[in-house]
Amino acid sequence: MYDDVVKELKELEELVLKCMKCGTCHADCPLYNQDGKEQSVARGKIALIQSVYEGRLEDAGKILKHIDYCVLCGRCKQSCPSGVKTDEIFLKAKSVLRKIEKMKGWQKFVLSIAMEKPELLAKMAPLMHMGLKFGSKKIKDDVFKPIIPIAGGRNVVSVKSKTFADTYGGLNKAKGEEKMTVIFYPGCAANMIYTSWGEAIVETLNYFGVSVYVPEVNHCCGIPAATMGELDLFKKMVNKNIDYFDSLDAKYIVTCCPTCQYGLNEMGPKQTGRSPEQEMMDVVVFLEEVLHADIKLETGEKTTIHFPCHYDRSKDSLLESFVKDNLGTDYTKLKNQSCCGFGGTFSLKHYGKSSDISTSKAEEISTKGFQRVYTPCPGCAMQLTDALAKEGSEADVSHPVQLFYESVVKKS
Amino acid sequence: MSAAINGKFKEIVGSDNFWDEPADLMCYSYDSAFEKPVPPDMVVKPSDYDQVQKVIQLCRDADIPLITRGAGTNLSGGTVPVSGGCVMLTTGLNKILEVNTEDLYAVTQSGVVTAKFAEHISDHGLLYPPDPGSMKMSTMGGNVAENAGGLRALKYGVTSDYLMGVKFFDMDGNLVIGGGRTVKLVTGYNLPGLMVSSEGMLGVMVELIMKIVPVPEAKKSMLVSFGDVIKASETVSKIIQAKILPATLELMDNFTIKTVEEATNIGLPVDADALLLIEVDGHPEAVEDEYRKVIDICESLGGSVKVAENEQERDALWEARRKSLSSLARLRPTLILEDATVPRSRIPEMMQAVQNIRKKYDLTIGTFGHAGDGNLHPTILTDKRDEQEMARVEKAIDEIFETALKLDGTISGEHGIGSAKAKYLESELGKGSLIFMDKLKKGLDPKGLLNPHKMGL
Ligand SMILES: Cc1cc2nc3c(=O)[nH]c(=O)nc-3n(C[C@H](O)[C@H](O)[C@H](O)COP(=O)(O)OP(=O)(O)OC[C@H]3O[C@@H](n4cnc5c(N)ncnc54)[C@H](O)[C@@H]3O)c2cc1C
Ligand code: SF4
Ligand code: SF4
Repeated sequence: MYDDVVKELKELEELVLKCMKCGTCHADCPLYNQDGKEQSVARGKIALIQSVYEGRLEDAGKILKHIDYCVLCGRCKQSCPSGVKTDEIFLKAKSVLRKIEKMKGWQKFVLSIAMEKPELLAKMAPLMHMGLKFGSKKIKDDVFKPIIPIAGGRNVVSVKSKTFADTYGGLNKAKGEEKMTVIFYPGCAANMIYTSWGEAIVETLNYFGVSVYVPEVNHCCGIPAATMGELDLFKKMVNKNIDYFDSLDAKYIVTCCPTCQYGLNEMGPKQTGRSPEQEMMDVVVFLEEVLHADIKLETGEKTTIHFPCHYDRSKDSLLESFVKDNLGTDYTKLKNQSCCGFGGTFSLKHYGKSSDISTSKAEEISTKGFQRVYTPCPGCAMQLTDALAKEGSEADVSHPVQLFYESVVKKS
Repeated sequence: MSAAINGKFKEIVGSDNFWDEPADLMCYSYDSAFEKPVPPDMVVKPSDYDQVQKVIQLCRDADIPLITRGAGTNLSGGTVPVSGGCVMLTTGLNKILEVNTEDLYAVTQSGVVTAKFAEHISDHGLLYPPDPGSMKMSTMGGNVAENAGGLRALKYGVTSDYLMGVKFFDMDGNLVIGGGRTVKLVTGYNLPGLMVSSEGMLGVMVELIMKIVPVPEAKKSMLVSFGDVIKASETVSKIIQAKILPATLELMDNFTIKTVEEATNIGLPVDADALLLIEVDGHPEAVEDEYRKVIDICESLGGSVKVAENEQERDALWEARRKSLSSLARLRPTLILEDATVPRSRIPEMMQAVQNIRKKYDLTIGTFGHAGDGNLHPTILTDKRDEQEMARVEKAIDEIFETALKLDGTISGEHGIGSAKAKYLESELGKGSLIFMDKLKKGLDPKGLLNPHKMGL
């Protein structure tokens, strides 16, 4: 079996050889910036894979922990001059190396429930909701500090007793004249935790004459499985979601989770050879570029944006002008443009490191006295909420559509 | 290595900052040079000077080779351990200690990343000019140890022109202080000068005092295309003869232009045989005057000039130069970047020679580089798995260096010697220099433990 592993790693050679060891990936890697260790950064991880299939390193099992120690933020891929596809390399390598080091039983169990039994997960939501509230202290609207140190003392946004899909699953008809029909894919975080984001988005789309399909049961995009080295499970989830999208007559798939979009629209198609028929895009991009929605607020708030790693980089300036002009805020770009450090399963496994990364961002947000941080990603929102609470900052973390919904759509 | 020794290392730096597992070691078996990877026996990451000193003393007492490593981005194998030993990371020494805006200097620890240092200086409204292409990742200590240059070297000089003072440990663990905070200073030997280009072989630098300068008030950039690379090279000499010192004078050959354009679609003239990217800076009136003269010279030699009217257009021009290496890198699996350098008046001859060598060995070579200071980067694109081609590559490199020396140039303008160029050193310097360097090295490090075997010593 060991030989098979080496052989499968060697299949990555064409991708791996493109790495010229220039080290440019150091500059934006949130982990390297914390610890200055070559093991943390793409160049090191790639060198490890190479040294296994070139026969310089014997115990392949030992490299998984290094490859796994990665936020999968994709910053290395974005900045790599040689165009090395670091994400594909890491995901494939993990899934190969999983053959040597099996996943812990309980992890596998949790993963299989989360992925394959979403109905069960939804039924458990009220329990988690109570569990969290029970053992915790409320420090802010909907932000709780667990008294029992679960999740390593993280301040958490509560899991809602009713999922978003439970409330909005099915077709939500446009208000007034219908312009078009779209699918809204909430992703797990908006489905279970940031249900208010889902609500704001569907209601806002309806308000602008768009009918919206919401999955009756939200199937995870599969990225957590991919990051744990379970590529087959990932492909299964991607296929399941694409089946659902294909069954509907809609023009676009709108989402509020850049990582889900990356999973279903970029990495998914690469692994399964199948893409959704509809164009998939972030809701802010949809409102601006497709609907040209008339959104005008004058809040005057001192704001900034956290740009999620998987957000379409070519849309960063669109997001910026949306927050600055459409929401009428006093906007300043953050100097620290690092990843928030969340990385889904990464923050569960390495909460300490993950939180160090977000703390450096929270410090800037706190000292510069921002009132609100906009971010179009629920994972980043969770991470920043935690970090800001620890910094004692008053800044709120919001989705860019929320305020418009609260102050205009809801009152209409 | 014995458990007892490893225990001592852990005691010094803490077990979180010590590694000796094969997988960890493999991550320090390479740097940015195209060299055979060799892992060390252990890696340590000290977080203060005291720990640095103790690690050095332990290595000396236990006869362990010591390789100092900043970001590991050097292009000559300077941080690859030839015969095992201990790699000491400086990334834990990452504080900027002082910026003095009255006396125009800054004090920094050696592991600070160059771009972070430059940004910090710029936050104080001043400029740290050396800007190597690797500045986003390289460390200040690595810059001094390799005497890194950058795009502004022609007018502003290289790292050594900014080094005022240094604190380092020798291989006995003595703290040595050289230079200081004054513009004039002649106390003792020029120890900062000794550390420049020392490639980790004479001491471990922990702290540096760097000169900083006022930001030029105005600048003007232009992109000039030529139908003939030789004319472009002549233009470089003509501009300098006219007593104009541009901050930047960069050259790209036709192959590089085409590759960049294919990769980026930024609208480069793909028919041009060569491009020059020129930037003049300084007092607004001087800039205005110089840039007109530069345009005249370029046009008189057949160049067609495009001037950047604003910051955005300037960025667009620079984009082409910045993307040179990366666009070339995407063509073939293996990229070997050379830095043979000649007096700038010999650039036309050098360009011609590289073209001949490319044809003779049937290789893909793109050339771009700092024409203003004669520092060219012939970049060979190949595939390390193709043994036949690799043999031709090796011959081509030999010939490129031979040519550079024949033209009164040097085998390395900025990438250093390390292991990659050790075999050429004698042909440039002669036997006497090697004997002198060997004596100097042996006097300071009799056991030969500080980055051994580099430069052939
Ligand atoms: C994409 C790319 C672009 C580049 N562009 C340029 C360029 O424009 N100009 C240029 O000059 N170079 C360039 N380089 C080469 C390289 O970045 C420089 O040589 C840089 O100075 C190396 O810094 P480092 O921190 O990575 O040093 P390392 O590679 O870690 O070390 C280099 C040498 O210095 C020694 N050393 C490091 N720190 C210390 C210390 N504190 N005390 C004593 N010795 C020490 C090491 O032992 C080694 O011999 C480039 C490299 C790449 C990959
Ligand atoms: S930036 Fe790309 S080519 Fe350079 S070391 Fe990182 S992965 Fe390799
Ligand atoms: S994906 Fe992010 S965390 Fe992982 S190596 Fe790349 S930059 Fe670092």
